[in-house]
Amino acid sequence: MTGNRLPERPGEVIDRGTSLAFTWNGQGYTGYQGDTIASALAASGVEVFARSMKYKRRRGIMTADHWDPNLFVQVGDEPNVRAGSRCLVAGMEVSAQNVWPSLKFDVGAVNQMVGRFLTSGFYYKTFMRPKWFWHNVYQKVLRKFAPGGRIFWESSTHGAYDKRYAHPDVLVAGGGPAGMGAAIAAAEAGASVMLVEHEPELGGHLRWGDAADLAALAELTSAVEAHPGIEVVIDSTVTGRYDHNWMAVVQRSHEIAPERLIKARAASLVVAPGLIERPYVFAGNDTPGVMLSGAVRRLINLWAVKPGTRAVVLSANPEGDAAIADLEAAGVEIVAALDARAGEDIVEVEGRGRVDKVVLGDGRTVSADLVVIGIGWTAPTSLLNMAGDRPVYDPSAARYFPNQLPDGVLATGGITGNGTTDELVAHGRATGSLAASRALRSRHDRRVLAARARNPEGPKPEFLQDTRTPLARVPHPECYRSSTHGMVDLSEDVSSKDLVQASKEGFDSIELMKRYTTVTMGPSQGKLETVNASAVLAEARNMDMVDIGTTVWRPPYAPISLGALAGRIFEPIRRSALQDWHEAHGASPLLAGQWVRPDHYGDPVGEARNVRQNVGIIDVTPLGKLDLRGPDVTKLLELVYVNKWQKLDIGRVRYGTMVAEDGVVSDDGVTGRLGENHYLMTTTSSGAGAVWEMLEDYLQTYRPEWDVHVTAVTGGLTSINVAGPKCRELLLRLVEGVDLSPEAFPYFHVRRGSVAGVADCIIWRIGFTGELSYELHVPSGHALHVWESLLANGEDLGVRPFGVESQRILRLEKGHYIVGQDTDGLTKAPSAGLGGLVKLDKPDTLGLPELKAAYARTDLPMLVAIQPDDPQVVPMEAAQIVDGDSNRILGRITSSRMSPTLGRSVCLGQVDPSLAAAGTKVTILLIDGRRVTGTVQEHHAHVDPEGVRQNA
Amino acid sequence: MPDFKSPIAHGPVSAPDGVVRVEDETATAKIVVRAGSDSSAAADLSVPFGQSRLRADGTLVCGTRPDEWTLFAAVDRAAEVAASVDTEGFVSVVDITHGRAMMRVSGPKATAVLAKVCNIDLADDMTPDGAVFSGSVANVTCDLLRSDRAGDPSYLISCERSFGNYLFAALVDASTEFGAGLPAGLSIH
Repeated sequence: MTGNRLPERPGEVIDRGTSLAFTWNGQGYTGYQGDTIASALAASGVEVFARSMKYKRRRGIMTADHWDPNLFVQVGDEPNVRAGSRCLVAGMEVSAQNVWPSLKFDVGAVNQMVGRFLTSGFYYKTFMRPKWFWHNVYQKVLRKFAPGGRIFWESSTHGAYDKRYAHPDVLVAGGGPAGMGAAIAAAEAGASVMLVEHEPELGGHLRWGDAADLAALAELTSAVEAHPGIEVVIDSTVTGRYDHNWMAVVQRSHEIAPERLIKARAASLVVAPGLIERPYVFAGNDTPGVMLSGAVRRLINLWAVKPGTRAVVLSANPEGDAAIADLEAAGVEIVAALDARAGEDIVEVEGRGRVDKVVLGDGRTVSADLVVIGIGWTAPTSLLNMAGDRPVYDPSAARYFPNQLPDGVLATGGITGNGTTDELVAHGRATGSLAASRALRSRHDRRVLAARARNPEGPKPEFLQDTRTPLARVPHPECYRSSTHGMVDLSEDVSSKDLVQASKEGFDSIELMKRYTTVTMGPSQGKLETVNASAVLAEARNMDMVDIGTTVWRPPYAPISLGALAGRIFEPIRRSALQDWHEAHGASPLLAGQWVRPDHYGDPVGEARNVRQNVGIIDVTPLGKLDLRGPDVTKLLELVYVNKWQKLDIGRVRYGTMVAEDGVVSDDGVTGRLGENHYLMTTTSSGAGAVWEMLEDYLQTYRPEWDVHVTAVTGGLTSINVAGPKCRELLLRLVEGVDLSPEAFPYFHVRRGSVAGVADCIIWRIGFTGELSYELHVPSGHALHVWESLLANGEDLGVRPFGVESQRILRLEKGHYIVGQDTDGLTKAPSAGLGGLVKLDKPDTLGLPELKAAYARTDLPMLVAIQPDDPQVVPMEAAQIVDGDSNRILGRITSSRMSPTLGRSVCLGQVDPSLAAAGTKVTILLIDGRRVTGTVQEHHAHVDPEGVRQNA
Repeated sequence: MPDFKSPIAHGPVSAPDGVVRVEDETATAKIVVRAGSDSSAAADLSVPFGQSRLRADGTLVCGTRPDEWTLFAAVDRAAEVAASVDTEGFVSVVDITHGRAMMRVSGPKATAVLAKVCNIDLADDMTPDGAVFSGSVANVTCDLLRSDRAGDPSYLISCERSFGNYLFAALVDASTEFGAGLPAGLSIH
């Protein structure tokens, strides 16, 4: 550590007892606990931190805070770390980013030699032609120059990002004296407060102020800490304000995550960001050693770093003047103290790696290594703009001020005017009280409205008018540019000369100029340069600043990582009560929507064969199940299904198909009548939620007079289909209270009984496999017992579990279609092969007019069973059915498998009606370009079309 | 009858200092009652939407939605509790004991944990002890009840049974900020 570290300063934030070792470009350095990366390096004598984006000019500390455009560094595997605000941590490996071969010597600096060719619109003008160069040359070369550090896809060590929600009554954006005052007053008024501070500590400019400032800070901090109603969130930025005061707060360096997004919904937003010090435009204004007054005061007072030895100071305000005092106290020689208020000026700075000479406005040239600029402020009105405000420029104060704000948004502090610490705190307190009163009125309303909330104890608070005494607007000279040209946007290397040229080329509105020159489009996002850009344009066009306007502030105000926006990845996964068993027994997982299901247990074909020969059991829990009760259930079923439901006896089951209003098939399933006014409806697995919502929609809006209650019971009833010629024999061993004989319990009937000692099971005589089968709906808390009992008691019968893939094979053999696979978003009922199921003579059914129209047509495609003539060819699903050798599409294969029962391939397909007759030959275009023929079958079922097996 | 099995495969998870605890309470009888507000059942249950009360027989009655109540009791009391509902008029009583997973997050940091996965205002006056509400918790639609314990906030959260294991993992995951450890095999992914 060299001699740039000063003796102890009153307000310093470093812990001199804790040294931290780190590296910078591979060399060892030490700093103190409390240092930022930049302050530790500056204390060690480092002057150049980066190279600029376009011209690769050397860059040093400019603002010494989060917004410093020159302090982007790489820390380990993390790029774009802001060294002006990131606290030093022992072991950090810090390096300059985007330099080659080194920070000291960067080849790209040759761009400075050809700078006059790289002016406004250079990219647009240069990289347009020849067109093929764009991908092959330009893109590759330009990417070499793109800033942004290095990312390490494979070895990145950062942890998960995070997110949380908050509902403060009042959110205060900015923890300076006004913001702290607002937070305290709001909390004292009974509001819950979230106080968000951009820096690692509260206090704003008081932190690097004089003894009186530090005393005021201590008092404010104590008051904030003492109030339990204030949550302080430091090193965080309110980065967006959206409708109804929905705020996005990015919280950096939280211990559990690199970044966290706080989604805060506040009744009142207090905007108290203070002011951002603005650079001055003159030749050489980006030379290392040119710093803003706030930067030198922060370096000296927070981190005890001497910023230089011989300084020229240009000041237009008391803060600039205060820098002179701090510099003198730090032992820096003041070579020239220039008063901009009196017209004194700086014209040019010379020096490469560091300021060397300074040309003053009076023509003198002085030797110095530090130039301190204190010429004015930018009002960071971002959150106000996001609230709909259009801030107005006041030339007498040389900055923008708030204009019209909604009731829920209030501004305080430096953004509204000037004042002493006491005046700022007082204005903040008044603002906090006002914000609290408005928020508590809103809270009162919400408590009245929310059924869960405690009723308000008293009357609604009165609406307080805004009677605050405004802070004064102290006159300030308009200092934007000297008589020379210099950098306006240090992030993008855009100079005032570039802007003037853009204006001359016709890009003379601020928004056009921004897009043409990229000014304000870099990482600074206008915080340092937007007002200067407007000023340069105003000067170029000989207009007033008021008429020029500014570019629009949009979220995010501060950068936020994609990781924080994503937060934790919550993708709910649904598991049946048997899924653990499936996984423990080698099931291959299948993600079907949100469900994870057993695709197969290693041998799907063998599993399917076993169902045909012996008995298999499959977990079909995702099947949607809706409990319907009430005297009007039949009316509901008549409405939503295409077939008739008036005469369904208790204990009977019926298949039904639903269509949407447009007549397109939307879902299907069976519904059983369990009691006089009690039915159980099943839906497709993927359609369960939509059907439930649709039923509730109709019951609550179109037919509120019907007495029907719908309860979703999908997960509560674990569904086990027991299928195969030996399934009855197996169930006879476990079922009690139900006569399973075919006479007493035929196909499409439902009973209630106990299975393996588990009462209240629902037993259906239904299936999807074409085999004799029963479907057990078992209370899920006992499902595993029933599943294991089936396996244990059917060992001699050859019982085996089978998965979804086996079921797909079996159902295709049987010709059962799947909604969404064998139909699509255009498939009207006649095209699904529903035939006589649809009853057009019902008084009302969803989609009935469309159904009538559809059944009057003869041109709709038809669902048919197809068998390829070469039995070993299994056309890929979605393979096209074409017209002979032409490519005219006449249909498609919707399902296909090799049938283990038949030893040949089988398909379902949608075909043009001209091809739907049994025996018709169709041409199937395979994915490899071959064409094969197939024959349309008489029935959808390839296996057992008469239903002998399932009706056994 | 075999033992009742929960979809949640893990026992309670606590932070070492006890600031938060996540535990499975699926083994609870859950009876949903649907009835008109002018029915005898509604008068008998006597709990408005959004609130709850503990009946003398130990049954917790929650006003889950307008004209809908959920009754919680010991898991072996499901039939008894269901039978206790006055079914005069158009009233539905459905036993959803097996259809809902339920878990409790409790402790001084319980609210902070829930605020990481649920966007509802959980302030004491907006969601006081006894409040009943519904919302998204870690992207799962849930019914929630604030049911404080020993002066600390506590939330009973129920969801469709098949989401149970995932939701439990999500709540434990949210608790890790406050010191809870994620047991082996428990993951939100």
